[in-house]
Amino acid sequence: MTSRGSPSRFLTSVLHNGVGRYVRQLQRLQLLFSPTAADARGARQFVEEVAVDFARKHPDVVLYVRPCSNPTPVLVAEYLNGTVREELITSKTSEEILQLATKLAGQSGLDIIRIRKPFHTDNPSIQGQWHPLTNKPSILTVRGPRLQAQ
Amino acid sequence: MARRELWSEGCFRRRCPARWCPLPGTLLAGTSGEGPCFLEETDLVLGAAVIMAARLLVWASRQLLAGAGAGVGAGTGRLTFKTAPRQVKKRWLRAYLEQERSEKPNWDYHAEIQAFSHRLHENFSLDLLKTAFVNSCYIESEEARRRELGLDKETIALNLQDNSKLAEEGMSFSRSYLTQCFEGAYPELPAEGIGALVDFLTSQELVSYVAQNLSIQDLTLCKEFPAPPDVLQRTFFAVIGALLGSSGLEKTGIFVRDFFIPQLIGKDLFEIWQVVNPMGLLVEELTKRNISSPEPRITRQLGVSTVLPVYFVGLYCDKKIIAEGPGETLLAAEEEAARVALRKLYGYTENRRPWDYSKPKQGLATEKAISSS
Repeated sequence: MTSRGSPSRFLTSVLHNGVGRYVRQLQRLQLLFSPTAADARGARQFVEEVAVDFARKHPDVVLYVRPCSNPTPVLVAEYLNGTVREELITSKTSEEILQLATKLAGQSGLDIIRIRKPFHTDNPSIQGQWHPLTNKPSILTVRGPRLQAQ
Repeated sequence: MARRELWSEGCFRRRCPARWCPLPGTLLAGTSGEGPCFLEETDLVLGAAVIMAARLLVWASRQLLAGAGAGVGAGTGRLTFKTAPRQVKKRWLRAYLEQERSEKPNWDYHAEIQAFSHRLHENFSLDLLKTAFVNSCYIESEEARRRELGLDKETIALNLQDNSKLAEEGMSFSRSYLTQCFEGAYPELPAEGIGALVDFLTSQELVSYVAQNLSIQDLTLCKEFPAPPDVLQRTFFAVIGALLGSSGLEKTGIFVRDFFIPQLIGKDLFEIWQVVNPMGLLVEELTKRNISSPEPRITRQLGVSTVLPVYFVGLYCDKKIIAEGPGETLLAAEEEAARVALRKLYGYTENRRPWDYSKPKQGLATEKAISSS
């Protein structure tokens, strides 16, 4: 797929986050797993060993742990701007799940698509936009006769 | 068959608002370890043949269903990649999406409130913060609902305090604090200009936008859903009022500064402050400063006889140029030049110093703000 066809956006942040203060954009993390299934072993280990530490480390994220009857184990991340992301954690170890959860906690919830440039400014030009009269003298300037070349 | 399984499983994931639904062709950032990384139909079929056949098949069929739903608009089967206009949700899913977050599974109000306070890096007193989220319309509707259920009068009364008082406090504090801030930062700006800036920052539109991006609409208790902008605005000001009650003036001032003033980034003064006659205002300002009235002159012009002329008008005071502005007509150019001159006079040019967000040394501004409010 060419880059022109894929959706893209500019580098932005929610509410100019970090200009005044940094607000973590992940508001809620749900861990849904089966209490018996083999592929949820890592998820159960995460709940037993890491989940409390993770919640203590991220007091601004509400972590819900919920054993379901027999679903695919999944991490559901809800962001402040309303985005909901589901990440499958089938057959993942607890370290991998922790890594994934930490990554989700650091993300902004904006669409994960191609970012056109790694920088962005609201004022692209410092000198102002070019126009046909840029760097031309004003018509009011009185120009004297040129000096004769000697 | 896949449909039936979706229903019978009854797990939250199936009914969850799949706003970020991995369509075929989407790069899944998290699944780099195992499983298909770049999802396409072929991958899905191959992946289904390997382990966990049954479960993945259910999943894959769901993906294909979702893909087919999105593909109707796009035309091509493969590039069913539309992020901006979300795919039209199924009717059963739409009914689910029209629920408040608190009606969905996994919702602990107390934990959410605590996390909200930690998220903003503030020490709210939780009782005040909970009061800040109670709107009067919620109390009314809840009591009416209880009455309909036929409860006796003692149980009907909720004994909740609504947030109107906190909202008032927060509103008056933020307005006076912002006024104080702008008076300090732009001493040349007249009172109307400062008033326009403050009105813009405390307007319903902007405050509800800020509140929405802090997910206040999930926490606020109100009758309607989705929460209307006036409720969001009141709730956000009530949160500020609650902070005022729990952390004091200085911290609340910093809070107001951190969440409101960044909204001015990239905005022009005259976008916010509508001046009808900038030339008249400029003449007024210059006479105040004992400078002779400005003399407009065409400094450059181009394509005068065409349909797209451009004129540059310079304003001269005592034979010195104070501002120059472009325009399609002479009047527009003169007006623009006057605006440029005003921006220079007021110190609100595009290349002004960025706002200082570092910690203030003394709480002078806040003290003044509270004494004036």
